[in-house]
Amino acid sequence: MTIRIVTDSSCDLPSDLIQQHGITVLPCYVVVDDQTFKDGVEIQPDDFYRRLQAEGRTPTTAQPTVADFQEVYRDLVGQGHQVLSIHVSGKLSGTLNSAEQAKASLDAGSSVEIIDSLLASIPLGLAVLDAADMAADSSDVHQLAGKVRQGLGTHHGLFALDTLEYLQKGGRIGKARAFMGSVLHVKPILRLQDGEAHPVERPRNRERATRRLVELIQELGPARRLAVIYSTDSARMADLKQQLTGILTADQIIEARFGSTLGTYIGPDALGVAITQKVQ
Amino acid sequence: MDHLRGQELKDAFSVATGCLEKFRDSINALNVFPVPDGDTGTNMLLTMRSAVQSAEEACPDGQDHSVAAVSSALAHGAFFGARGNSGVILSQFFKGFSDALADKEHLNADDLSLAFKLASEGAYRSVGNPVEGTMLTVIKKASEAIQDAEGDLLSVWEAAYSASLEALDRTPEQLPILREAGVVDAGGFGIVVLIGGALRAISNPESADIDLSELTRFECEINNSGSIKSGFLDATLAEDWGFCTQFIIGSVNGRALDLDQVRRHFQGTAASTVVVGDEHNVRVHIHIEDPAPAIEYAESIGAVTDVSIENMDSQNQQFAGRSHSGHADSPALALLPVAQGDGLAHLFRDSGCAGVIEGGQTMNPSVQQILDAARDTGATDVIVLPNNSNIILAAEQAAAAEPSIHVVPTTSVPQGVAALLAFNPEGRWQDNVAAMTAAFSEVRSVEVTAAVRGVSINGIEVVEGQYIGLLDGELSLAEDNSEQALRSALNRAGLSGDAIVTVYCGAGKSPSDATVVSEELEKEYLGIQVDLIDGGQPHHQYLASVE
Repeated sequence: MTIRIVTDSSCDLPSDLIQQHGITVLPCYVVVDDQTFKDGVEIQPDDFYRRLQAEGRTPTTAQPTVADFQEVYRDLVGQGHQVLSIHVSGKLSGTLNSAEQAKASLDAGSSVEIIDSLLASIPLGLAVLDAADMAADSSDVHQLAGKVRQGLGTHHGLFALDTLEYLQKGGRIGKARAFMGSVLHVKPILRLQDGEAHPVERPRNRERATRRLVELIQELGPARRLAVIYSTDSARMADLKQQLTGILTADQIIEARFGSTLGTYIGPDALGVAITQKVQ
Repeated sequence: MDHLRGQELKDAFSVATGCLEKFRDSINALNVFPVPDGDTGTNMLLTMRSAVQSAEEACPDGQDHSVAAVSSALAHGAFFGARGNSGVILSQFFKGFSDALADKEHLNADDLSLAFKLASEGAYRSVGNPVEGTMLTVIKKASEAIQDAEGDLLSVWEAAYSASLEALDRTPEQLPILREAGVVDAGGFGIVVLIGGALRAISNPESADIDLSELTRFECEINNSGSIKSGFLDATLAEDWGFCTQFIIGSVNGRALDLDQVRRHFQGTAASTVVVGDEHNVRVHIHIEDPAPAIEYAESIGAVTDVSIENMDSQNQQFAGRSHSGHADSPALALLPVAQGDGLAHLFRDSGCAGVIEGGQTMNPSVQQILDAARDTGATDVIVLPNNSNIILAAEQAAAAEPSIHVVPTTSVPQGVAALLAFNPEGRWQDNVAAMTAAFSEVRSVEVTAAVRGVSINGIEVVEGQYIGLLDGELSLAEDNSEQALRSALNRAGLSGDAIVTVYCGAGKSPSDATVVSEELEKEYLGIQVDLIDGGQPHHQYLASVE
């Protein structure tokens, strides 16, 4: 009985990796200009960021519905699979609630394990890739879930934002509130920890923000996986990637883009880097 | 007892201030109106301290003073030290006493009735929209109860106190927000403490310990979120409270200020308006979304001083968070810079500092002011940024007296800003001090100021009236205009295309004055970043950093 990996579109994994690993991605919903879109399916980043920066209402997001999860779980279980469903931090989204409710509605004996990754965006993506790799060598989803949970602490994410405005408007400012302020045009760096965004420091411009991302990632030690991610400025991401090639080679570093779910909060001109630490 | 002497009146309010200090945290915890930001006790206490200090200075112990002199000094100190809505109303309470006792040697029962009457009337007049169920009602009820009272001074004061207690008890019936929160009015509580504390001091002048245990029933458990209903505080978070803005307008060139006109102006444009004063000085307290037009208006009619602008949204969030979490003190680590100038104060607060100690080149804060400001943050540890070499010593003395205070010895505002941006509110203070010290050490500071006399230092001839440029505190040049001095000093700081230059424009200068400099720099050093910020600092036309 094979194990299949399910996640949600807030993992920001590029489509080639999703296909290659046979991962099922449930799209989150994003509401822009009074229209509802499935993230990554019905709306693509270029279109989304154009709308985000245009005058108008602030976009909002919604988790995949219980019915969405039921459909995916029933399909996979019906085909004889076990399911490991790993999702965005429960402190940032209600996606896990939908998943849990869908699981509760399945027939008894269905093997579905749900994991709160305490992560979001491409750091979640890296955890999903790890789970997919391990799933290939595993036959018991409960054992696999234990291993995946153990490894969650090795995935880290750092983000350099152009502004905290979108995080605040979207109601996800949390502990990063300490870095609010508009007099100095700083580029705040946040990190994911314990399922939330925490403030790290405030470089004065983009170049220094990029440099600090590199230095902070270097402090996290040898890497097993590395990923870079951007919202609107791919050249900045290329520059960041170039500066990271001392840690892993360029072809080993995953390039990703914030989808519309993350983009709603992280805003234009954001940059991020994720690492899976090599456990020595 | 049929009358009080000046000394006794002064002692009574000094003792009452001590009582207020004991109840300060309880009063803060009750504060839900007009904005649930938990500072009413502190504001009233600071106002009282200023009142008592002024009386001590004007009427020192051991001499015979009239109650006229004492009450006038109390009113003066309360006016200039008033903090917050409650503090300003409190200052009117003393103004009433001062007016009623204007030519009195002693205070008798009739004088007290008149003092309370004028105090009540003055307090109501000072407020834009008087709301019943607040400290106004408590003062009014105390006054009404003694207008036709018979008996000696002590029994009349006793009657005022009983009436104030009763009025306080009824505040939740009058003000729905108090009922919702399940508390009595915080400012009203403060007034009751003062009236009661003064009464007990008068009736037992020899007693060292004042017993106001009858008031403990109004306290809510500070460490228990049960008292202020948590749903109430959650609901307040959705409100937009704007900025609590306070300042004093002084008359210029003997031109009398029109108190009523100022009052009318702000009543039309702001909330929680309290405007008090006379033709020489007017104190304004308002809650407003955008403080800038209010200050511009004030500047159009007089000289504006003692400006304080506080973001009530963040105070409200902090207060709500504190009540929920169950432990009394909110932030673990707070940042406390010293700065002078509205723009700089705004910059520091906007960037997450818990407060700003007013001070700078010519006005160094005292050790006590630093200790008080640190205490007012409520934080477990406080990092102070002196931002001036003359203030480092006071900051270090404060740190020696109070182990929770730590100093990052910045000698200029640009260094302070660099340190601020390296601050991580979630880090340990030790790590922060190390990171902030490293960060500010990498910054070069430029100061531009007018030379008040001719000198020759470091081989540089300066003529009075010229503008001098200091680089890292050393005189390095003199120019005939301040922009040129800025430009030359920046050049000597060592510029390159990847430098970030931040210019803080002083009082009388605006960022548009400095654009000529930024444009030149951008042309000469491709890629350089030049940020122009309205600092509003006195004495320095420009402060700047190169990093």
